[in-house]
Amino acid sequence: MNTLNRITQPATVTPTVGSIPEPEKVLLDGGVPVWLLGSGSEDLLRIEFVFEAGQVRERQHLTASLVNEMLTEGTLLYDAVTLNNIIDHTGAVFTPVVDKDNAGLVVITLSRTLDKVLELAAEVLFNPSFPENEFRMLIERRIQRFLTSRQKTSVVSRELFYNALFGNAPYGRITTPDDFAVINTSLLQEFHKEFYNTGNLYITVAGKDPHRAIPSLNRYFSSSGNCRTGEPFTEQSKQVIQKREYFAEMPDAVQSSIRIGWKGVCKSHPDFAPLQVANTILGGYFGSRLMKNIREDKGFTYSIGSLAGSLKYAGFITIVTEVANEYRVQTLNEINKEIDKLRQSTVPENELVMVRNQIMGDMARAFDGPFAVAEYLRGVLDHGLTLGYYRIFEETVKTITSDKIKELFNTYFITDESIEVIAGPR
Amino acid sequence: MVTFEKHKLSNGLTVLAHYDNTTPMVTTNILYRTGAKDEDAEATGFAHLFEHLMFEGSVNIPVFDTPVILAGGENNAFTTNDITNYYITLPADNIETAFWLESDRMLGLDLAEGKLETQKRVVIEEYRQRYLNQPYGDLFLLLRPLAYKVHPYMWPTIGKDISHIERADHKAVERFFNDNYVPGNAILSVGGNVTPERVFSLAEKWFAQVTAGAKNKKSIIQEPIQRERRELTVYRDVPADELVMVFHTGRRNDRDFYILDLLTDVLAGCESGRFPTTLVREKELFSEVDCYLTGDEDPGLVIISGRLKNDIDIEKAEKAIWEELNLLCTTQITDFELEKSRNRYESHHLMAMISASNKAFNLAFHEHLGDAGNINSESDKYMSVTKDEVTDTAQRTFRSDNCSVIRYMAKRK
Repeated sequence: MNTLNRITQPATVTPTVGSIPEPEKVLLDGGVPVWLLGSGSEDLLRIEFVFEAGQVRERQHLTASLVNEMLTEGTLLYDAVTLNNIIDHTGAVFTPVVDKDNAGLVVITLSRTLDKVLELAAEVLFNPSFPENEFRMLIERRIQRFLTSRQKTSVVSRELFYNALFGNAPYGRITTPDDFAVINTSLLQEFHKEFYNTGNLYITVAGKDPHRAIPSLNRYFSSSGNCRTGEPFTEQSKQVIQKREYFAEMPDAVQSSIRIGWKGVCKSHPDFAPLQVANTILGGYFGSRLMKNIREDKGFTYSIGSLAGSLKYAGFITIVTEVANEYRVQTLNEINKEIDKLRQSTVPENELVMVRNQIMGDMARAFDGPFAVAEYLRGVLDHGLTLGYYRIFEETVKTITSDKIKELFNTYFITDESIEVIAGPR
Repeated sequence: MVTFEKHKLSNGLTVLAHYDNTTPMVTTNILYRTGAKDEDAEATGFAHLFEHLMFEGSVNIPVFDTPVILAGGENNAFTTNDITNYYITLPADNIETAFWLESDRMLGLDLAEGKLETQKRVVIEEYRQRYLNQPYGDLFLLLRPLAYKVHPYMWPTIGKDISHIERADHKAVERFFNDNYVPGNAILSVGGNVTPERVFSLAEKWFAQVTAGAKNKKSIIQEPIQRERRELTVYRDVPADELVMVFHTGRRNDRDFYILDLLTDVLAGCESGRFPTTLVREKELFSEVDCYLTGDEDPGLVIISGRLKNDIDIEKAEKAIWEELNLLCTTQITDFELEKSRNRYESHHLMAMISASNKAFNLAFHEHLGDAGNINSESDKYMSVTKDEVTDTAQRTFRSDNCSVIRYMAKRK
C-alpha cells in the first residue's frame, strides 16, 4: 500500500469533444424551422422560440426588453393575473428572454402538459395586449431597477465600454431617465407587430423524444407571417474610435470596476475560433495569465477575466475586473504587461497543452445533456452556422501554433489602442 | 428514483456511488461536515478562507488546478453555514485524477510561502465586492445578528468582522485542518459513468491511507425561543426602501420544512403567488416581494423581503404583509393553489435532477443530514402536505414575537 505513487498524476486520456449531436431540422406547415435535439432520460422538454427582436432592431432604446417583459402581462384572452395563474398551474417554467440580437421565450415543461403549454406560449408570443396599467407598473419597477444599477460600478463601466465601442447604435446605447419618459405602448405594439411573427421565428426542442412537440407546434405556430427585411441599425458600429480613456466618478465605491477592450470579430470570421484560444490564455480560465498574476500572485481582486465575444453583427474583446481602489493603477499596468508579453514572445508548449485541454473539457461538458446542447445550437444558428462549427473549432484548438497565437495578440490586443474604462472614486 | 450504493472505509470516510451510463462524465463531490457555524466566535470566516486554501497546494501536489485541467475537468467549491463542499467534474476515463487530488488534500495541505497572505487579500476583496460595493449588499450582515443571539448562524460565511480574516495565521490554519478535515467528517459522493465497484475500489486505494484522526467539533448552543419582536432601522444611500421580516422555523429534516416549502411557494414562488398578486399588482405597495426559507441543518428562517415603491410608508407596507400572513393562519389555502404548487414542484424537481453532478451533491447532502436514501422520499413528503398542515404551521410561525424586522431605508437627500 505504501507503494502508491502520489507524486505523479495517474494516467489520463486526452480530453476530446466526443460526439456532437446532430439536430434534425423540420419545417412546420407554415414554414417555421424547428430544430430537434433528442436525448436525456427525464420526462421534460425545453422549447425555445427565437425571434430577431432584440435591441439591435430598436429605434427607441428599451423597446425590445419592454416588449419582451410585457408578453406575460396580459393577452387578448386573459388579463395578467389570470394568465399567470394558468401558466403557473401547468407547472411549466416560462422565461421570456431578450438580448442584444434576439428575443423570445424559453419554456420547460412536462410532456403531459405539452399541448396546453404550447397553446399558452402562442397566446403569449402572438397576442399580448400591452395593457396601460400593467405597462405603467412595469415602467415604475424598471426605473427603480435602473436607479439601483446606477450604483453598481460593474454596470456603469459596462455601459460606458459598449458605448465607446458602438456609439449610439443599439448595441452601444446608454440608458437615461429620458428613455423611460419617451417610451409608450404604441411603440411596443408596433415593434411587436413587426418582429414577433412566424416569418421571423425559429424554434428549438430539446429533451427526450422531441418529435412529440411537432403536432402541437403545427397547431399553434403554422400561420404565415411577414419576414422582416432590411438592415438592422448597426451602422455606427463601424465608426472609428476617437477617445480611448473613460472615467465615471462614483465617489462612495469601495472598489473600482475596470474594463479594457477592443473591437473583435464575429463568430463566422475565420479568426474567431483561434481568438478563443488566445483569449483563454490571457483571461479565459482560472489558470489564465491574468488570474495567476492579479489574483493568485498579487491578491488585488477576487476575480479577473476576459472574453472574445460575438454579437450577430459585431465582435468585441473585453477584460473585466473589480479591484480595490488603491490597486487600480497597478492592476492596469499589470494587465498591459501581460498583454505585451503575449505580443512579444510565444506561449510555451506546456501552457498551450493546458489551454487545449481546458477548452476541450469545457466543450465535452457543454455537450453533456440536451438542454445545454440547445443553448450551443442557438449560439451557432444566429450566425448562420450549424453545430458542425464545433468540429472546426475543435480542429483549430488541436492544431493552432504558438506563432499564430502571437500573431493574434499583435492583431487584436494592441495595448496602445485599447478602450479603457474605470468606474470608481476619483 | 436515484439509485446508489454506499460503502464506509475503516478510517470513517463514507462513500456513495450513483451510476449513470448515459453521460460520458463523472463528478466526485466531497462534502466536509464543517461550515461557518463550526467556527470559533473570535475567528469567523475561517471555513470559507480555508476553502480558498484547499486549492493552494497539498502534501504531494503543488498546484491543484493544473492536473484537473489536463484531465479535461472543472472544479469548484462553496461554503455555507453548515458545510464546505468541493467537486470535480471530468471525463469518466480520467476519474482517478480526482481521487488522487481529493485524497492528497485530505492528507494535508502544504502552503508555499505567501499563499496564505495572498488568499487573505483575495477574500477581503471578495467581501468588498459582494457585501460593500453593492447596493443593499450589507443587508444579510445586519440580519443574522438580529435573528440569532446565541447560535453561530449569527455570522455569515464571509465572517462577522473582516479583521478575523486579517488575523488568520498558519497555526490557526493547521488547527482548523486537523479538527475538521478528517475522513470521519467527510462524505465522498460520485455520480456518473463509473460503476460503484470501481468507485469503492478507487476509494480504498486512495483514501484508506488517510489516518482517521479525531473530529474535534465544538458543541453548538441552540438558539433559545424568541419571545419578543425585534426591529432594526438603518439608513443607506440606496434608491428605495427595503423591508425584511424573518421568522424562526425548524430544521431541514423536520416535517415543517416541506410544509413551509409549499407555503412559501404559495406566497411568492411564482408570478401568480399571493404576494406578487396582492402586494405588487393590486395594492401597489412593493416593486417586488420575495419569500423563501433557508433550509439549514439547525433551526433556520423564513425570510420575507420586499422593495417598496416610492413614497409608500413602511409601516403600511408591513401591515399589508401581516394581513397576508394572518389570512394564511385563519383560512385554508385553496385547492387550486395546492395543485399549482404540486405541479410546479414536480417539474422543478425533475429539472434539479437532470445532471449526474446534481445527484452526486444531493446524495452527499442527504447523507450529511442523516440518510442519503431520503433523496428518494423528498417528492412524497412534499406531495403529502395537506391544507390543514399549512394553516397549522403558519399559525406557529407567523407570530409577532417570533419576528425580526429590518427597515433598510433610503437616505432622503
